[in-house]
Formats: sequence, structure tokens, C-alpha cells
Amino acid sequence: MGLEDRRDLETDVYQPAEDSHLLASAVLEHLSVDETDLVLEVGTGSGYVAGRIDAETDARVVAADLNPHAVRQARTDGLEAVRADLVSPFADEAFDAVVFNPPYLPTDPDNEWDDWMERALSGGEDGRAVIDPFLEGVGRVLATGGVVYLLVSSLTGVDEVAAQAGEAGFSAVSVADESFPFETLTILALYR
Amino acid sequence: MKESLLEILCCPLDKHELELEDAEYETGEDDSEEIIDGTLVCEECGERYPLEDGIPNLLPPDMREESPA
Repeated sequence: MGLEDRRDLETDVYQPAEDSHLLASAVLEHLSVDETDLVLEVGTGSGYVAGRIDAETDARVVAADLNPHAVRQARTDGLEAVRADLVSPFADEAFDAVVFNPPYLPTDPDNEWDDWMERALSGGEDGRAVIDPFLEGVGRVLATGGVVYLLVSSLTGVDEVAAQAGEAGFSAVSVADESFPFETLTILALYR
Repeated sequence: MKESLLEILCCPLDKHELELEDAEYETGEDDSEEIIDGTLVCEECGERYPLEDGIPNLLPPDMREESPA
């Protein structure tokens, strides 16, 4: 990939940051999968987390994103990529694990800048505009005994997200967290 | 995409199975065969989803345009 393409990606595709590293290391520490297992990363962005799971476990990994630039980067990096809105085009009970670093920043609607980077970051006014529909839909694609790993920021509200997960039939367990100057990031494991 | 991926994909609108039409295949570096181009068609509602450059675009039709605006 040339420098020019790389520069475009930096403006069109969310690149790995502290949240990506925390999610990848929490998943790799807690997830137990073998070569018959399937893992889905929703909103894969740069493909960093999916790439780590693909490289460091035996599972088959599928990387999905709404953003055409993101799925192209994921495929270029050798991942199986699908352009998708959350989990909507995946079969019932297909996955043993689903991983998601969602857009979560609470955003004033007047301040939204409506490009791919905004879509990667903004969680609407309460920060849960993408998380809530994800929680409603993800149970359908999860196999029996499957687990969801979801990154949540203190800016979005871990208790609120855990309560919403509860309404969707999950129990939430915090498996990792890390504090930064303006937020604490938590990885929730969701079980049914 | 690998043909086996088809087993875990479905129509985003009604969750029915997809059928592959007009498929073009390419052999990758590791000798595995991939679908590089084609159309995925819902067996129930008939909605058609493009597969280009090896990537299936399974966004619902009203979200399919390239620009986010």
C-alpha cells in the first residue's frame, strides 16, 4: 500500500488506539477457541483486533464494517471481510464469540461532522446510539455458550450498558479496565 | 471471499439464505479458491447484494451508497 493510500486511510478508517489494544489483549487473555470456532469482529475499522485474534488463535475470524474503506483494508491484510450493518447479514447462532469496539463518544447532534471518522467515533447524544441496537441483535448470531466482548467507556456509562445488556438477556462481567485522563475503558464479557 | 463463508451469511432484511449468482473465482496465493465477483441473491425476497473485489456488500439496500452522508 502506497503512502497516499495510507494517508487516505488515516482520515477514512479508525486506526488502532488505546481502546483497540485493550480490547485485543482482553479478548486474547479470556477467549478460549479452537479451529472449529468462529469469531466475528463488528466494526473492525483498521482490522487490528480481528488481525490479532486471527494471528494468535486457531479460530476462523470474520471482520465486518459499515465502512467500505475499512473492509477493503481488512481484506488487503488477509482477513475475511464483509460489509455489514452490525450483525444483520449473519446467520443465526453462527459465532462462538463476537467482539465490538463501538462508536461510543456522546456527541452533540449539532457538532456531528458526518464522515466515516464521525461514524467510527460518535455514539449519538447518549453515546449508545450504536451499542443499543447491537445488544438487541447480537444474541441471534451467537452460538450456545457463545460470548460477546464489548468495549465500554465511562463517558458512555458502564452501568447503563450493562443494564441494557441485561434487558437483552445477557449477564455482564468486567474482564479488563484501564484509566486514561478523560475516561476509563472497560471490557465487558456478556454471557447468556 | 471463501465460498464457505456463504454458510454463515444471510439476507440482512429477512435472514433467509443467499444464493450465489454470476460468480467469478480467483486462486489466491495459498492456492485456495476465492469468489472475487458475483451477486448474492436472497432466496426468499429476491433482494440482490453485490460481491466486488472479494468483498460481499450485505448492507441493506437503503444503506448501500458509498458516501456516509
